[in-house]
Amino acid sequence: MAAATQTPDYDRQRAAAERAAIDASCRGPVLYFSASAVFWLLIGSVLAIIASTKMHSPYFLTGTPELTFGRMRMAHLQAVALGWSSMATMAASLWMMCRLARAELIYPKILLASATLWNVGTFLAVFGIIFGGGQSVEWLDAPQYAPPFFIAGLGIVSAWVAAVFRRRREPHVYVTQWYILAAVFWFPWLYTVAVMMIFWSPATGVVQPIVNWWFNHNFLGLWLTPVAVGTAYYIIPKVIGRPIHSYYLSITGFWALALFYSWAGMHHLIGGPVPAWLVTASVVGSMMMFIPVIAVAINHHMTMLGHFHRAKYSPALRFTVFGAITYTWVSFQGAIESLKSFSEVAHFTHYTVAHAHLGAYGFVAMIFFGLFYYMIPRLTGREWASASLIRVHFWTAAVGITIYFVGLSIGGWWQGRMLNDPNVPFGNIITYLKPYFLTRTIAGILMTTGHLAFATLFIMNLAGWGKKRVGGPTYFVEPLKTTNSPNAKN
Amino acid sequence: MSPADITVIAIVIGSIALFGGATVLAMGWAFRNGQFENFQQGAASIFGPDEPIGEMTDAFPVKRAAKHAAQPESQD
Repeated sequence: MAAATQTPDYDRQRAAAERAAIDASCRGPVLYFSASAVFWLLIGSVLAIIASTKMHSPYFLTGTPELTFGRMRMAHLQAVALGWSSMATMAASLWMMCRLARAELIYPKILLASATLWNVGTFLAVFGIIFGGGQSVEWLDAPQYAPPFFIAGLGIVSAWVAAVFRRRREPHVYVTQWYILAAVFWFPWLYTVAVMMIFWSPATGVVQPIVNWWFNHNFLGLWLTPVAVGTAYYIIPKVIGRPIHSYYLSITGFWALALFYSWAGMHHLIGGPVPAWLVTASVVGSMMMFIPVIAVAINHHMTMLGHFHRAKYSPALRFTVFGAITYTWVSFQGAIESLKSFSEVAHFTHYTVAHAHLGAYGFVAMIFFGLFYYMIPRLTGREWASASLIRVHFWTAAVGITIYFVGLSIGGWWQGRMLNDPNVPFGNIITYLKPYFLTRTIAGILMTTGHLAFATLFIMNLAGWGKKRVGGPTYFVEPLKTTNSPNAKN
Repeated sequence: MSPADITVIAIVIGSIALFGGATVLAMGWAFRNGQFENFQQGAASIFGPDEPIGEMTDAFPVKRAAKHAAQPESQD
Protein backbone atom coordinates (compact mmCIF):
# COMPACT_ATOMS: atom_id res chain seq x y z
CA MET A 1 0.00 0.00 0.00
CA ALA A 2 2.86 2.34 0.81
CA ALA A 3 4.36 1.74 -2.64
CA ALA A 4 1.02 2.53 -4.19
CA THR A 5 0.69 5.93 -2.59
CA GLN A 6 4.22 6.91 -3.58
CA THR A 7 3.67 6.19 -7.27
CA PRO A 8 2.96 9.28 -9.35
CA ASP A 9 -0.62 9.43 -10.55
CA TYR A 10 0.46 10.05 -14.11
CA ASP A 11 2.43 6.81 -14.32
CA ARG A 12 -0.45 4.86 -12.84
CA GLN A 13 -2.89 6.36 -15.27
CA ARG A 14 -0.67 5.72 -18.26
CA ALA A 15 0.04 2.12 -17.22
CA ALA A 16 -3.67 1.51 -16.61
CA ALA A 17 -4.53 2.95 -20.02
CA GLU A 18 -1.93 0.76 -21.71
CA ARG A 19 -3.22 -2.34 -19.94
CA ALA A 20 -6.82 -1.45 -20.82
CA ALA A 21 -5.86 -0.99 -24.49
CA ILE A 22 -4.13 -4.37 -24.53
CA ASP A 23 -7.13 -6.07 -22.95
CA ALA A 24 -9.46 -4.33 -25.39
CA SER A 25 -7.41 -5.58 -28.36
CA CYS A 26 -7.80 -9.23 -27.39
CA ARG A 27 -11.32 -9.00 -25.96
CA GLY A 28 -13.15 -10.54 -28.96
CA PRO A 29 -10.97 -13.61 -29.66
CA VAL A 30 -10.19 -14.38 -26.02
CA LEU A 31 -13.86 -14.19 -25.01
CA TYR A 32 -14.79 -16.36 -28.01
CA PHE A 33 -12.22 -19.00 -27.06
CA SER A 34 -13.30 -18.80 -23.41
CA ALA A 35 -17.03 -19.04 -24.11
CA SER A 36 -16.43 -22.00 -26.42
CA ALA A 37 -14.34 -23.68 -23.72
CA VAL A 38 -17.15 -23.29 -21.19
CA PHE A 39 -19.69 -24.65 -23.70
CA TRP A 40 -17.59 -27.78 -24.36
CA LEU A 41 -17.04 -28.19 -20.62
CA LEU A 42 -20.80 -28.52 -20.17
CA ILE A 43 -21.14 -30.94 -23.10
CA GLY A 44 -18.22 -32.99 -21.79
CA SER A 45 -19.73 -33.07 -18.31
CA VAL A 46 -23.04 -34.48 -19.55
CA LEU A 47 -21.23 -37.12 -21.61
CA ALA A 48 -19.11 -38.01 -18.57
CA ILE A 49 -22.12 -38.53 -16.32
CA ILE A 50 -23.79 -40.79 -18.92
CA ALA A 51 -20.60 -42.86 -19.35
CA SER A 52 -19.99 -43.05 -15.61
CA THR A 53 -23.57 -44.11 -14.83
CA LYS A 54 -23.29 -46.96 -17.31
CA MET A 55 -20.38 -48.40 -15.32
CA HIS A 56 -22.59 -49.21 -12.30
CA SER A 57 -26.00 -49.30 -14.06
CA PRO A 58 -25.28 -51.08 -17.35
CA TYR A 59 -28.90 -50.94 -18.53
CA PHE A 60 -28.98 -47.14 -18.41
CA LEU A 61 -29.70 -45.70 -21.91
CA THR A 62 -29.11 -48.87 -23.86
CA GLY A 63 -31.74 -48.27 -26.55
CA THR A 64 -29.48 -46.68 -29.17
CA PRO A 65 -25.94 -47.37 -30.36
CA GLU A 66 -25.20 -43.64 -30.14
CA LEU A 67 -25.44 -43.77 -26.35
CA THR A 68 -23.28 -46.83 -25.71
CA PHE A 69 -20.43 -46.55 -23.22
CA GLY A 70 -17.65 -46.69 -25.81
CA ARG A 71 -18.97 -43.73 -27.77
CA MET A 72 -19.93 -41.67 -24.71
CA ARG A 73 -16.52 -42.11 -23.13
CA MET A 74 -14.62 -41.24 -26.33
CA ALA A 75 -16.86 -38.24 -27.02
CA HIS A 76 -16.38 -37.03 -23.43
CA LEU A 77 -12.61 -37.15 -23.83
CA GLN A 78 -12.70 -35.15 -27.07
CA ALA A 79 -15.11 -32.58 -25.60
CA VAL A 80 -13.04 -31.92 -22.49
CA ALA A 81 -9.52 -32.36 -23.90
CA LEU A 82 -9.93 -30.58 -27.23
CA GLY A 83 -13.00 -28.49 -26.47
CA TRP A 84 -12.62 -27.28 -22.89
CA SER A 85 -8.94 -27.65 -21.99
CA SER A 86 -7.41 -26.74 -25.35
CA MET A 87 -9.64 -23.74 -25.96
CA ALA A 88 -8.96 -22.51 -22.43
CA THR A 89 -5.25 -23.05 -23.08
CA MET A 90 -5.43 -20.93 -26.24
CA ALA A 91 -7.44 -18.18 -24.50
CA ALA A 92 -4.88 -18.14 -21.68
CA SER A 93 -1.93 -18.11 -24.08
CA LEU A 94 -3.25 -15.20 -26.13
CA TRP A 95 -4.28 -13.03 -23.18
CA MET A 96 -1.22 -13.58 -21.03
CA MET A 97 1.18 -13.19 -23.96
CA CYS A 98 -0.40 -9.83 -24.83
CA ARG A 99 -0.24 -8.65 -21.22
CA LEU A 100 3.28 -9.87 -20.53
CA ALA A 101 4.63 -8.60 -23.84
CA ARG A 102 2.76 -5.31 -23.29
CA ALA A 103 1.68 -5.54 -26.92
CA GLU A 104 -1.76 -5.30 -28.47
CA LEU A 105 -3.19 -8.13 -30.51
CA ILE A 106 -3.11 -7.47 -34.25
CA TYR A 107 -5.82 -8.60 -36.68
CA PRO A 108 -8.01 -10.16 -33.96
CA LYS A 109 -10.69 -11.14 -36.48
CA ILE A 110 -8.42 -13.81 -37.93
CA LEU A 111 -8.31 -15.38 -34.48
CA LEU A 112 -12.10 -15.48 -34.51
CA ALA A 113 -11.74 -17.66 -37.62
CA SER A 114 -9.23 -19.80 -35.75
CA ALA A 115 -11.64 -20.35 -32.86
CA THR A 116 -14.39 -21.20 -35.35
CA LEU A 117 -12.14 -23.77 -37.04
CA TRP A 118 -11.38 -25.32 -33.65
CA ASN A 119 -15.07 -25.40 -32.73
CA VAL A 120 -15.95 -27.09 -36.03
CA GLY A 121 -13.19 -29.64 -35.40
CA THR A 122 -14.45 -30.35 -31.89
CA PHE A 123 -18.04 -30.61 -33.10
CA LEU A 124 -17.00 -33.10 -35.80
CA ALA A 125 -14.93 -35.04 -33.27
CA VAL A 126 -17.62 -35.28 -30.59
CA PHE A 127 -20.63 -35.91 -32.80
CA GLY A 128 -18.65 -37.92 -35.35
CA ILE A 129 -17.79 -40.35 -32.54
CA ILE A 130 -21.37 -40.42 -31.25
CA PHE A 131 -22.66 -41.31 -34.73
CA GLY A 132 -20.14 -44.09 -35.23
CA GLY A 133 -17.13 -42.46 -36.88
CA GLY A 134 -14.71 -42.84 -33.97
CA GLN A 135 -11.19 -44.25 -34.37
CA SER A 136 -9.93 -46.96 -32.07
CA VAL A 137 -6.91 -44.88 -31.01
CA GLU A 138 -7.07 -43.47 -27.51
CA TRP A 139 -7.07 -39.65 -27.35
CA LEU A 140 -6.98 -39.55 -31.15
CA ASP A 141 -10.49 -41.02 -31.36
CA ALA A 142 -11.80 -38.22 -33.58
CA PRO A 143 -12.90 -39.16 -37.10
CA GLN A 144 -10.25 -38.48 -39.73
CA TYR A 145 -12.07 -35.45 -41.11
CA ALA A 146 -11.60 -33.52 -37.82
CA PRO A 147 -7.78 -33.11 -37.50
CA PRO A 148 -7.34 -30.66 -40.43
CA PHE A 149 -9.59 -28.19 -38.61
CA PHE A 150 -7.52 -28.52 -35.43
CA ILE A 151 -4.22 -28.14 -37.26
CA ALA A 152 -5.41 -25.05 -39.17
CA GLY A 153 -6.88 -23.43 -36.04
CA LEU A 154 -3.82 -24.20 -33.97
CA GLY A 155 -1.45 -22.91 -36.64
CA ILE A 156 -3.14 -19.50 -36.56
CA VAL A 157 -3.01 -19.30 -32.75
CA SER A 158 0.67 -20.27 -32.69
CA ALA A 159 1.50 -17.70 -35.36
CA TRP A 160 -0.38 -14.98 -33.50
CA VAL A 161 1.28 -15.75 -30.18
CA ALA A 162 4.66 -15.55 -31.94
CA ALA A 163 3.63 -12.28 -33.63
CA VAL A 164 2.64 -10.71 -30.30
CA PHE A 165 5.97 -11.82 -28.84
CA ARG A 166 7.83 -10.21 -31.76
CA ARG A 167 5.99 -6.93 -31.15
CA ARG A 168 6.69 -6.90 -27.41
CA ARG A 169 7.43 -3.64 -25.61
CA GLU A 170 8.53 -5.39 -22.40
CA PRO A 171 12.18 -6.41 -22.91
CA HIS A 172 12.19 -9.12 -20.22
CA VAL A 173 10.75 -12.52 -21.14
CA TYR A 174 8.83 -13.62 -18.04
CA VAL A 175 8.79 -17.33 -17.18
CA THR A 176 5.12 -17.60 -18.22
CA GLN A 177 6.06 -16.46 -21.70
CA TRP A 178 8.69 -19.20 -21.93
CA TYR A 179 6.03 -21.77 -21.08
CA ILE A 180 3.51 -20.35 -23.56
CA LEU A 181 6.01 -20.05 -26.41
CA ALA A 182 7.14 -23.62 -25.83
CA ALA A 183 3.58 -24.96 -25.76
CA VAL A 184 2.48 -23.26 -28.99
CA PHE A 185 5.68 -24.48 -30.65
CA TRP A 186 5.50 -28.07 -29.35
CA PHE A 187 1.85 -28.91 -29.71
CA PRO A 188 1.26 -28.26 -33.44
CA TRP A 189 4.22 -30.52 -34.23
CA LEU A 190 3.13 -33.13 -31.71
CA TYR A 191 -0.41 -33.31 -33.03
CA THR A 192 0.51 -33.24 -36.72
CA VAL A 193 3.16 -35.94 -36.34
CA ALA A 194 0.82 -38.18 -34.32
CA VAL A 195 -1.99 -37.88 -36.86
CA MET A 196 0.42 -38.41 -39.75
CA MET A 197 2.11 -41.49 -38.28
CA ILE A 198 -1.12 -43.14 -37.17
CA PHE A 199 -3.63 -42.17 -39.88
CA TRP A 200 -2.24 -40.36 -42.91
CA SER A 201 0.95 -42.38 -43.46
CA PRO A 202 0.58 -45.14 -40.87
CA ALA A 203 3.71 -46.49 -39.27
CA THR A 204 3.74 -50.25 -38.96
CA GLY A 205 3.71 -52.56 -35.94
CA VAL A 206 4.53 -51.39 -32.46
CA VAL A 207 5.56 -47.94 -33.68
CA GLN A 208 1.87 -47.00 -33.69
CA PRO A 209 1.22 -47.50 -29.95
CA ILE A 210 4.57 -45.85 -29.24
CA VAL A 211 3.54 -42.77 -31.23
CA ASN A 212 0.07 -42.96 -29.66
CA TRP A 213 1.36 -42.80 -26.07
CA TRP A 214 4.07 -40.32 -26.95
CA PHE A 215 1.22 -38.08 -28.11
CA ASN A 216 -1.22 -38.87 -25.30
CA HIS A 217 1.15 -38.16 -22.46
CA ASN A 218 2.63 -35.10 -24.12
CA PHE A 219 -0.84 -33.69 -24.78
CA LEU A 220 -0.93 -33.10 -21.05
CA GLY A 221 2.81 -32.56 -20.56
CA LEU A 222 3.76 -30.33 -23.46
CA TRP A 223 0.48 -28.57 -24.16
CA LEU A 224 -1.78 -28.22 -21.12
CA THR A 225 0.87 -28.39 -18.36
CA PRO A 226 3.18 -25.62 -19.61
CA VAL A 227 0.35 -23.14 -20.04
CA ALA A 228 -1.30 -24.12 -16.74
CA VAL A 229 1.98 -23.86 -14.79
CA GLY A 230 2.72 -20.60 -16.59
CA THR A 231 -0.72 -19.33 -15.59
CA ALA A 232 -0.01 -20.11 -11.94
CA TYR A 233 3.30 -18.24 -12.25
CA TYR A 234 1.33 -15.22 -13.42
CA ILE A 235 -1.82 -15.36 -11.30
CA ILE A 236 -0.32 -16.16 -7.87
CA PRO A 237 2.22 -13.31 -7.70
CA LYS A 238 -0.11 -10.92 -9.48
CA VAL A 239 -3.04 -11.49 -7.12
CA ILE A 240 -1.09 -11.32 -3.88
CA GLY A 241 1.20 -8.56 -5.12
CA ARG A 242 4.42 -10.39 -4.40
CA PRO A 243 7.13 -11.49 -6.89
CA ILE A 244 7.73 -15.22 -7.12
CA HIS A 245 10.06 -16.59 -4.46
CA SER A 246 12.90 -17.67 -6.74
CA TYR A 247 12.95 -16.61 -10.34
CA TYR A 248 16.08 -18.73 -10.84
CA LEU A 249 14.15 -21.85 -9.79
CA SER A 250 11.28 -20.99 -12.13
CA ILE A 251 13.60 -20.83 -15.14
CA THR A 252 15.34 -24.05 -14.05
CA GLY A 253 11.94 -25.72 -13.77
CA PHE A 254 10.97 -24.67 -17.27
CA TRP A 255 14.12 -26.00 -18.93
CA ALA A 256 13.97 -29.22 -16.91
CA LEU A 257 10.38 -29.79 -18.07
CA ALA A 258 11.43 -29.10 -21.65
CA LEU A 259 14.21 -31.65 -21.32
CA PHE A 260 12.46 -34.52 -19.55
CA TYR A 261 8.71 -34.49 -20.07
CA SER A 262 8.69 -35.70 -23.66
CA TRP A 263 10.37 -38.96 -22.58
CA ALA A 264 7.61 -39.91 -20.18
CA GLY A 265 4.83 -41.35 -22.36
CA MET A 266 6.28 -44.83 -22.87
CA HIS A 267 5.70 -45.80 -19.24
CA HIS A 268 2.10 -46.41 -20.32
CA LEU A 269 3.41 -49.35 -22.36
CA ILE A 270 5.04 -51.19 -19.45
CA GLY A 271 4.53 -54.89 -20.08
CA GLY A 272 3.64 -54.25 -23.70
CA PRO A 273 5.41 -55.66 -26.79
CA VAL A 274 7.80 -52.73 -27.17
CA PRO A 275 11.59 -52.58 -26.75
CA ALA A 276 12.48 -52.75 -23.04
CA TRP A 277 15.07 -49.96 -23.33
CA LEU A 278 12.37 -47.60 -24.58
CA VAL A 279 10.20 -48.20 -21.52
CA THR A 280 13.21 -47.98 -19.19
CA ALA A 281 14.30 -44.67 -20.74
CA SER A 282 10.77 -43.41 -20.24
CA VAL A 283 10.77 -44.45 -16.57
CA VAL A 284 14.05 -42.56 -16.13
CA GLY A 285 12.51 -39.51 -17.82
CA SER A 286 9.48 -39.77 -15.55
CA MET A 287 11.66 -39.88 -12.43
CA MET A 288 13.68 -36.91 -13.68
CA MET A 289 10.41 -34.96 -13.70
CA PHE A 290 10.90 -34.64 -9.94
CA ILE A 291 13.33 -31.80 -10.75
CA PRO A 292 10.92 -29.37 -12.46
CA VAL A 293 8.04 -30.39 -10.20
CA ILE A 294 10.02 -29.75 -7.00
CA ALA A 295 11.24 -26.46 -8.45
CA VAL A 296 7.66 -25.37 -9.16
CA ALA A 297 6.37 -26.69 -5.82
CA ILE A 298 9.00 -24.83 -3.78
CA ASN A 299 8.43 -21.68 -5.73
CA HIS A 300 4.65 -21.64 -5.48
CA HIS A 301 4.65 -22.62 -1.82
CA MET A 302 7.29 -20.10 -0.77
CA THR A 303 5.59 -17.35 -2.77
CA MET A 304 2.30 -18.07 -1.00
CA LEU A 305 3.90 -18.46 2.44
CA GLY A 306 2.24 -15.95 4.74
CA HIS A 307 -0.42 -15.22 2.12
CA PHE A 308 -2.51 -18.39 2.14
CA HIS A 309 -5.30 -16.56 3.98
CA ARG A 310 -5.79 -14.41 0.89
CA ALA A 311 -7.30 -17.38 -0.93
CA LYS A 312 -10.32 -16.68 1.26
CA TYR A 313 -10.86 -13.37 -0.50
CA SER A 314 -9.79 -14.04 -4.06
CA PRO A 315 -11.63 -16.54 -6.28
CA ALA A 316 -8.80 -16.54 -8.81
CA LEU A 317 -6.22 -17.29 -6.13
CA ARG A 318 -8.36 -19.97 -4.49
CA PHE A 319 -8.74 -22.01 -7.68
CA THR A 320 -5.16 -21.41 -8.80
CA VAL A 321 -3.59 -22.44 -5.49
CA PHE A 322 -5.74 -25.58 -5.44
CA GLY A 323 -4.50 -26.38 -8.95
CA ALA A 324 -0.87 -25.63 -8.10
CA ILE A 325 -0.91 -27.88 -5.02
CA THR A 326 -2.56 -30.61 -7.07
CA TYR A 327 0.17 -30.25 -9.72
CA THR A 328 2.78 -31.20 -7.14
CA TRP A 329 0.76 -34.14 -5.88
CA VAL A 330 -0.23 -35.53 -9.29
CA SER A 331 3.28 -35.18 -10.68
CA PHE A 332 4.87 -36.99 -7.74
CA GLN A 333 2.24 -39.68 -8.07
CA GLY A 334 2.82 -39.94 -11.83
CA ALA A 335 6.56 -40.41 -11.38
CA ILE A 336 6.00 -43.19 -8.84
CA GLU A 337 3.36 -44.77 -11.08
CA SER A 338 5.88 -45.08 -13.88
CA LEU A 339 7.93 -47.59 -11.87
CA LYS A 340 7.55 -51.11 -13.17
CA SER A 341 6.99 -52.57 -9.69
CA PHE A 342 4.17 -50.11 -9.02
CA SER A 343 2.66 -50.71 -12.45
CA GLU A 344 2.36 -54.41 -11.69
CA VAL A 345 -0.66 -53.46 -9.61
CA ALA A 346 -1.87 -50.09 -10.88
CA HIS A 347 -1.56 -50.63 -14.65
CA PHE A 348 -4.84 -51.21 -16.55
CA THR A 349 -6.93 -50.30 -13.49
CA HIS A 350 -9.10 -47.38 -12.41
CA TYR A 351 -6.17 -46.15 -10.32
CA THR A 352 -4.75 -44.72 -13.56
CA VAL A 353 -8.13 -43.17 -14.43
CA ALA A 354 -8.14 -41.40 -11.04
CA HIS A 355 -4.61 -40.13 -11.64
CA ALA A 356 -5.48 -38.85 -15.13
CA HIS A 357 -8.49 -36.94 -13.83
CA LEU A 358 -6.51 -35.46 -10.95
CA GLY A 359 -4.07 -34.07 -13.51
CA ALA A 360 -6.56 -32.92 -16.14
CA TYR A 361 -9.13 -31.55 -13.67
CA GLY A 362 -7.60 -31.02 -10.23
CA PHE A 363 -4.54 -29.36 -11.72
CA VAL A 364 -5.25 -28.02 -15.24
CA ALA A 365 -8.98 -27.23 -15.09
CA MET A 366 -8.77 -25.66 -11.61
CA ILE A 367 -5.96 -23.33 -12.69
CA PHE A 368 -7.90 -22.33 -15.81
CA PHE A 369 -11.00 -21.69 -13.67
CA GLY A 370 -8.81 -19.39 -11.57
CA LEU A 371 -7.52 -17.65 -14.67
CA PHE A 372 -11.04 -17.12 -15.99
CA TYR A 373 -12.13 -15.57 -12.69
CA TYR A 374 -9.25 -13.12 -13.03
CA MET A 375 -9.30 -12.53 -16.79
CA ILE A 376 -12.97 -12.31 -17.80
CA PRO A 377 -13.90 -9.25 -15.67
CA ARG A 378 -10.89 -7.44 -17.08
CA LEU A 379 -12.08 -8.17 -20.61
CA THR A 380 -15.76 -7.39 -20.15
CA GLY A 381 -15.39 -4.58 -17.61
CA ARG A 382 -17.95 -6.31 -15.38
CA GLU A 383 -17.57 -7.87 -11.95
CA TRP A 384 -18.83 -11.37 -11.36
CA ALA A 385 -22.53 -11.19 -10.59
CA SER A 386 -22.63 -13.55 -7.62
CA ALA A 387 -20.00 -14.41 -5.03
CA SER A 388 -22.23 -17.27 -3.84
CA LEU A 389 -22.17 -18.95 -7.25
CA ILE A 390 -18.38 -18.70 -7.29
CA ARG A 391 -18.28 -20.43 -3.90
CA VAL A 392 -20.68 -23.12 -5.16
CA HIS A 393 -18.39 -23.64 -8.14
CA PHE A 394 -15.26 -23.92 -6.03
CA TRP A 395 -16.57 -26.26 -3.38
CA THR A 396 -18.42 -28.58 -5.77
CA ALA A 397 -15.35 -28.79 -8.00
CA ALA A 398 -12.91 -29.27 -5.10
CA VAL A 399 -15.04 -31.79 -3.21
CA GLY A 400 -16.05 -33.51 -6.46
CA ILE A 401 -12.52 -34.13 -7.72
CA THR A 402 -11.43 -35.22 -4.23
CA ILE A 403 -14.21 -37.82 -4.01
CA TYR A 404 -13.44 -38.91 -7.56
CA PHE A 405 -9.74 -39.31 -6.89
CA VAL A 406 -9.98 -41.00 -3.51
CA GLY A 407 -12.77 -43.37 -4.54
CA LEU A 408 -11.23 -44.57 -7.77
CA SER A 409 -7.70 -44.72 -6.35
CA ILE A 410 -8.79 -47.08 -3.56
CA GLY A 411 -11.04 -49.11 -5.85
CA GLY A 412 -8.44 -49.19 -8.62
CA TRP A 413 -5.65 -50.33 -6.34
CA TRP A 414 -7.67 -53.28 -5.01
CA GLN A 415 -8.84 -53.98 -8.56
CA GLY A 416 -5.17 -54.38 -9.52
CA ARG A 417 -4.45 -56.60 -6.55
CA MET A 418 -7.39 -58.85 -7.40
CA LEU A 419 -6.53 -58.96 -11.12
CA ASN A 420 -3.09 -60.25 -10.13
CA ASP A 421 -4.66 -63.05 -8.11
CA PRO A 422 -5.72 -65.94 -10.37
CA ASN A 423 -8.04 -67.27 -7.66
CA VAL A 424 -10.36 -64.24 -7.86
CA PRO A 425 -13.10 -64.62 -10.53
CA PHE A 426 -13.31 -61.62 -12.86
CA GLY A 427 -17.03 -61.15 -12.09
CA ASN A 428 -16.21 -60.70 -8.41
CA ILE A 429 -13.87 -57.83 -9.24
CA ILE A 430 -16.63 -56.04 -11.17
CA THR A 431 -19.06 -56.53 -8.28
CA TYR A 432 -16.43 -55.22 -5.84
CA LEU A 433 -15.91 -52.08 -7.94
CA LYS A 434 -19.57 -51.08 -8.23
CA PRO A 435 -19.65 -48.84 -5.12
CA TYR A 436 -16.53 -47.05 -6.32
CA PHE A 437 -18.14 -46.49 -9.73
CA LEU A 438 -21.10 -44.98 -7.91
CA THR A 439 -18.82 -42.54 -6.06
CA ARG A 440 -17.48 -41.46 -9.45
CA THR A 441 -20.98 -40.64 -10.68
CA ILE A 442 -21.71 -38.69 -7.48
CA ALA A 443 -18.43 -36.81 -7.92
CA GLY A 444 -19.29 -36.14 -11.56
CA ILE A 445 -22.70 -34.73 -10.63
CA LEU A 446 -21.03 -32.47 -8.05
CA MET A 447 -18.48 -31.19 -10.57
CA THR A 448 -21.19 -30.66 -13.19
CA THR A 449 -23.18 -28.62 -10.67
CA GLY A 450 -20.13 -26.42 -10.31
CA HIS A 451 -19.80 -26.15 -14.08
CA LEU A 452 -23.42 -25.01 -14.33
CA ALA A 453 -22.73 -22.33 -11.70
CA PHE A 454 -19.61 -21.30 -13.64
CA ALA A 455 -21.48 -21.17 -16.97
CA THR A 456 -24.29 -19.14 -15.34
CA LEU A 457 -21.76 -16.65 -14.00
CA PHE A 458 -20.05 -16.49 -17.38
CA ILE A 459 -23.30 -15.83 -19.27
CA MET A 460 -24.38 -13.22 -16.69
CA ASN A 461 -21.04 -11.49 -17.07
CA LEU A 462 -21.23 -11.46 -20.87
CA ALA A 463 -24.82 -10.22 -20.68
CA GLY A 464 -23.72 -7.30 -18.49
CA TRP A 465 -25.51 -8.44 -15.33
CA GLY A 466 -22.50 -7.95 -13.09
CA LYS A 467 -21.65 -4.58 -11.60
CA LYS A 468 -19.41 -2.34 -13.66
CA ARG A 469 -15.85 -2.33 -12.46
CA VAL A 470 -15.36 1.00 -10.74
CA GLY A 471 -11.76 0.86 -9.64
CA GLY A 472 -10.84 -1.48 -6.87
CA PRO A 473 -7.50 -3.07 -6.34
CA THR A 474 -6.65 -3.91 -9.93
CA TYR A 475 -6.71 -0.41 -11.37
CA PHE A 476 -7.92 -1.98 -14.59
CA VAL A 477 -10.01 1.15 -14.83
CA GLU A 478 -7.98 4.01 -13.50
CA PRO A 479 -10.07 5.48 -10.69
CA LEU A 480 -8.54 8.94 -10.79
CA LYS A 481 -9.09 10.12 -14.37
CA THR A 482 -10.50 7.64 -16.84
CA THR A 483 -11.41 10.01 -19.66
CA ASN A 484 -8.27 9.23 -21.69
CA SER A 485 -8.46 5.53 -21.11
CA PRO A 486 -9.64 3.39 -24.03
CA ASN A 487 -11.76 1.60 -21.50
CA ALA A 488 -13.14 4.68 -19.86
CA LYS A 489 -16.75 3.65 -20.33
CA ASN A 490 -16.19 0.77 -17.93
CA MET B 1 12.71 -49.98 -46.47
CA SER B 2 9.04 -49.25 -47.07
CA PRO B 3 7.73 -45.70 -47.56
CA ALA B 4 6.25 -45.93 -44.05
CA ASP B 5 9.68 -46.74 -42.58
CA ILE B 6 11.23 -43.82 -44.41
CA THR B 7 8.47 -41.55 -43.09
CA VAL B 8 9.15 -42.69 -39.51
CA ILE B 9 12.89 -42.13 -39.82
CA ALA B 10 12.41 -38.75 -41.50
CA ILE B 11 10.04 -37.61 -38.76
CA VAL B 12 12.33 -38.78 -35.96
CA ILE B 13 15.41 -37.13 -37.46
CA GLY B 14 13.41 -34.03 -38.37
CA SER B 15 12.05 -33.79 -34.82
CA ILE B 16 15.50 -34.09 -33.28
CA ALA B 17 16.84 -31.40 -35.63
CA LEU B 18 13.85 -29.11 -35.13
CA PHE B 19 13.50 -29.35 -31.37
CA GLY B 20 17.19 -29.70 -30.59
CA GLY B 21 18.00 -26.81 -32.90
CA ALA B 22 15.20 -24.66 -31.51
CA THR B 23 16.32 -25.34 -27.93
CA VAL B 24 19.93 -24.39 -28.69
CA LEU B 25 18.84 -21.27 -30.57
CA ALA B 26 16.43 -20.21 -27.82
CA MET B 27 18.99 -20.68 -25.06
CA GLY B 28 21.69 -18.91 -27.08
CA TRP B 29 19.38 -15.98 -27.74
CA ALA B 30 18.35 -15.82 -24.08
CA PHE B 31 21.97 -15.72 -22.91
CA ARG B 32 22.98 -13.08 -25.47
CA ASN B 33 19.90 -11.04 -24.67
CA GLY B 34 20.58 -11.01 -20.93
CA GLN B 35 17.42 -12.94 -20.06
CA PHE B 36 19.28 -15.04 -17.50
CA GLU B 37 20.75 -12.03 -15.69
CA ASN B 38 19.24 -10.01 -12.86
CA PHE B 39 16.57 -12.52 -11.84
CA GLN B 40 15.21 -10.15 -9.20
CA GLN B 41 14.24 -7.66 -11.87
CA GLY B 42 12.75 -10.43 -14.00
CA ALA B 43 10.48 -11.59 -11.19
CA ALA B 44 9.18 -8.03 -10.76
CA SER B 45 8.54 -7.48 -14.48
CA ILE B 46 4.83 -8.39 -14.18
CA PHE B 47 4.21 -5.47 -11.83
CA GLY B 48 3.84 -1.89 -12.92
CA PRO B 49 2.90 1.56 -11.67
CA ASP B 50 -0.82 0.69 -11.73
CA GLU B 51 -0.45 -2.78 -10.20
CA PRO B 52 2.61 -2.42 -7.97
CA ILE B 53 4.21 -4.93 -5.64
CA GLY B 54 2.32 -5.00 -2.36
CA GLU B 55 -1.18 -4.66 -3.78
CA MET B 56 -3.65 -7.52 -3.93
CA THR B 57 -5.41 -7.44 -7.29
CA ASP B 58 -8.37 -9.75 -6.88
CA ALA B 59 -11.21 -10.23 -4.43
CA PHE B 60 -14.69 -11.70 -4.24
CA PRO B 61 -17.07 -9.14 -5.78
CA VAL B 62 -19.13 -8.61 -2.64
CA LYS B 63 -16.13 -8.16 -0.37
CA ARG B 64 -14.52 -5.78 -2.83
CA ALA B 65 -17.72 -3.75 -3.09
CA ALA B 66 -17.98 -3.61 0.71
CA LYS B 67 -14.38 -2.48 1.02
CA HIS B 68 -14.91 0.06 -1.72
CA ALA B 69 -17.98 1.48 -0.01
CA ALA B 70 -16.13 1.72 3.29
CA GLN B 71 -13.15 3.50 1.75
CA PRO B 72 -14.43 5.64 -1.13
CA GLU B 73 -11.21 7.67 -1.38
CA SER B 74 -8.83 4.75 -1.07
CA GLN B 75 -8.83 2.91 -4.36
CA ASP B 76 -5.93 0.62 -3.58
